[in-house]
Amino acid sequence: MEEESKKLEIVFLDPKKIKIFRGTFETIHVMLEDGSLYRGVFAVAAFPVSNPNKYISLFCYDANDREYEIGMIEDIEQLPDEAKKLVMEALRRQYFSFEILAINSIKFAYGLLFFDVETDKGPREFSMKWETRFAFDFGKKGKILIDIFEDRYVIKDISKLNKIEQELFTRYIYW
Amino acid sequence: MTQMNQDIPENILRRLEEKGIKQSEIRLKTFADLDFLGNPAEIWVIATDNRFVVIPEKGFHDEIDLSLEKIKKFRIRASIGSAYLQAKIDEFYIDIVRFTNALRFRFSRFIVQLDLLRQGKPVSDEYVQESHPMTCPVCGLPLQTEKAACPRCARQGPILFRIIFLLEPYLHWVIIVLILMLISVGLSLVPPKLTQILVDEVLTSRRHVDWLIWIVTALISAELMRAFINMIVGTLTSSVGTLITYDLRKKLFRKLQELSIDYYDQQSVGTLMTRFSSDVEAFYGFVTQVGQGFLLNLFLIAGIGIMLFFINAKLAFYVLVPVPLVMMGTYFFWSRIYPMNFRLWDSQAKISRFLNIVFSGIRVVKAFAQEEKEIRRFDIMASDLRDSQRRVQTSVAKFNPMMAFLFSTGGLIVWYAGGKAVLQNQGFTLGQLMAFLSYTGMFYGPLSQMALMSNWVSSFITASHRIFEILDTEPQLKDVPGAIRMPNIKGHIKFEHVTFGYDRYQPVIKDVSFEIEPGQLVGIVGKSGSGKTTLVNLICRFYDVQEGAIYIDGKDIREISSYDLRKQIGLVLQEPFLFRASIAENILYGRPDATFRDVLNASKAANCHDFIMKLPMGYDLYLREHGAGISGGEKQRIGIARALLCDPPILILDEATSSVDTESEKKIQDALAILCKNRTTIAIAHRLSTLRGADKILVVDNGKIVESGTHQQLMEKKGLYYKLVIMQTKLTSIEAEVE
Repeated sequence: MEEESKKLEIVFLDPKKIKIFRGTFETIHVMLEDGSLYRGVFAVAAFPVSNPNKYISLFCYDANDREYEIGMIEDIEQLPDEAKKLVMEALRRQYFSFEILAINSIKFAYGLLFFDVETDKGPREFSMKWETRFAFDFGKKGKILIDIFEDRYVIKDISKLNKIEQELFTRYIYW
Repeated sequence: MTQMNQDIPENILRRLEEKGIKQSEIRLKTFADLDFLGNPAEIWVIATDNRFVVIPEKGFHDEIDLSLEKIKKFRIRASIGSAYLQAKIDEFYIDIVRFTNALRFRFSRFIVQLDLLRQGKPVSDEYVQESHPMTCPVCGLPLQTEKAACPRCARQGPILFRIIFLLEPYLHWVIIVLILMLISVGLSLVPPKLTQILVDEVLTSRRHVDWLIWIVTALISAELMRAFINMIVGTLTSSVGTLITYDLRKKLFRKLQELSIDYYDQQSVGTLMTRFSSDVEAFYGFVTQVGQGFLLNLFLIAGIGIMLFFINAKLAFYVLVPVPLVMMGTYFFWSRIYPMNFRLWDSQAKISRFLNIVFSGIRVVKAFAQEEKEIRRFDIMASDLRDSQRRVQTSVAKFNPMMAFLFSTGGLIVWYAGGKAVLQNQGFTLGQLMAFLSYTGMFYGPLSQMALMSNWVSSFITASHRIFEILDTEPQLKDVPGAIRMPNIKGHIKFEHVTFGYDRYQPVIKDVSFEIEPGQLVGIVGKSGSGKTTLVNLICRFYDVQEGAIYIDGKDIREISSYDLRKQIGLVLQEPFLFRASIAENILYGRPDATFRDVLNASKAANCHDFIMKLPMGYDLYLREHGAGISGGEKQRIGIARALLCDPPILILDEATSSVDTESEKKIQDALAILCKNRTTIAIAHRLSTLRGADKILVVDNGKIVESGTHQQLMEKKGLYYKLVIMQTKLTSIEAEVE
């Protein structure tokens, strides 16, 4: 019974007692204090917007290719520098989006919105369905747009766009 | 932006040659567009018959050169916003390349071919290079849904032409309306001309005083005839308007019935309801406005314009001075109001959606004492609607006075120039000036209304877009031309290497194969989310498999007429949906031609006859929304009676007894035992004890069939099924102790 109820508890990993190191082919391995080794580990943030560096879960795959949680790191800052670097890298490998820095144009045609934007990864053009479920809040000030291929475009703070861009953006994405 | 050139760059080819790989040896190729840290890159992935090579063209990435033999498996791992091609080497997966979601489709096809290559089977690079189903294969335009008709290539023409096309069945009425309108416009031009004669010949010169009575009589007759004609025009346009909305509603409902389940997965009920109510109603508005407003005004503007130039060409030019400004103002107004109407519509749809959800789930709201929270949520939405409405209305309110001012300047110019001409005796009489001013007033009136029409035209076009969006949607699952008619299915079912995912990149069913003989009772068990319901969704062909095939009586399910297929599959769900109709009508739903005797027999067999007979209205009891008022077990038994009445050769029971108490379950089980006789039955059951008598039990785990056999065989095997049975037995004994 006790074992069963333990399964329902989150395992918090002690940053001082775990070893996080790089394996072959740029994979990340984790060794727990009991000596168990987990290879090909990836990281997932529990609060990727509100608290991106805290409550980071480490996942792995079992023999049946099912992902399972090894445990959770409460705060990345508590990790030794090298391990911290690897976990940060694992997070960068887990999340991807284009950050919109400027909007050149938005056009509505054929039932879609066509965006021409400047992003942190260079100029991009994309199209999205003009529906509320494809543009949702990013924190309290931003928006995430999902294009027709399910790529993500983030505006972290709409108020930081210039007035013309804001007017253009909110004319279409007003919710 | 996503379909980059798929020709391998020269320097990659050189690098391959350095590795001893000739271009002719390349079997498969593609590229990834990100490095591992998410920076833009171009990383080429190339496979020959025995080697697997990764070389970066742009961006940072290690070169990889592996023997294909060394790789046990390929797969795609989705991360948030991107994905990885992974290869299983030794006992764990390594990331090979990372790419944006735009390339996921291509990579999903790439790994299918890679696996064939590993097995030494023929591969197709064209299969990998096929265009993304969300883009038009001809022009590359992004599409609203996978493989939808491309609006650019379909050349459906401007929306107004499509709307006019809807008028086709009523063309004869439209022609009559047009003729009557021309007569009405002609009659409108008469009074000012008569006024001119009245002023010049009767009132000022007094040459023909006796004409007074005749001129007034002619004026009355003209107005009377015009009123009569306008009455007929109004009646006819209203009739045509109501007929068009009737046609449109029918078309829309038929289309929505044809669309596959996946369309409904993406739409909310509230949004669809708004399309039926306000959007279709906009068509009625369009026909009446066009008939009684737009066309009439257009004819008036043309007729009066001719009269103005006929009376005095110089003054007529002055009248036209404000027209360009009006046109510019209208264009500006149009471009502003158009997106505002979308917002307004969205706010209305949100409120409908919200009310639908809250009223359907009112018990949950009250049970959790969340009334205040829901009131606050409603307030936010109502405020949003208020603001959207206000935005549209204030824009209209600003526009109208501005237009009125522009028109008045034209009138004042005519007063000044015309008055001067009369005073200086330049061959322009007072009567002519009076007539001219009359015509000017009549000219600006329709012009002003025409300018304001941009308001209703924009909301109408917005509504039309949404209606045509549904009418143009192609069902994802359509019968193939010449679909096989199978009115007498025997019930043999075969799954052959079936892979399927609601998100095509995340399979829920993975390479599943099994066979069910006609008349067998087969149980499907597994944990929640293991893919049990998905299996039955595929048998019903609510979705199409992505890999492999499903055969019914030896025929691929995709080639069978969907009408025949669904007509012969009975489905009893965990919570049967009961319509707002009598119990008898609910039982008759799948076979409306059945007799009352059939209904009674089916109900008796389904163990619901006795409780129905105790109801004051018996079978005529009119059920409320979702069958409110009768218990879950009773609803379930009505659902079983409904399935029993259809007598389907294939019966699917999806957790049919999981939501009822033990006593009801016993009654339902007895009913099901009768229902399953002489037909192929697939039962998904949470309570494993209900499947002990099954001919075969399939144990599903993580989208795969991990065990199959009879209850006895599986218990002896001591695998997952055994564990589930033991777990449930313990749980039952705990429950018994508690009770």
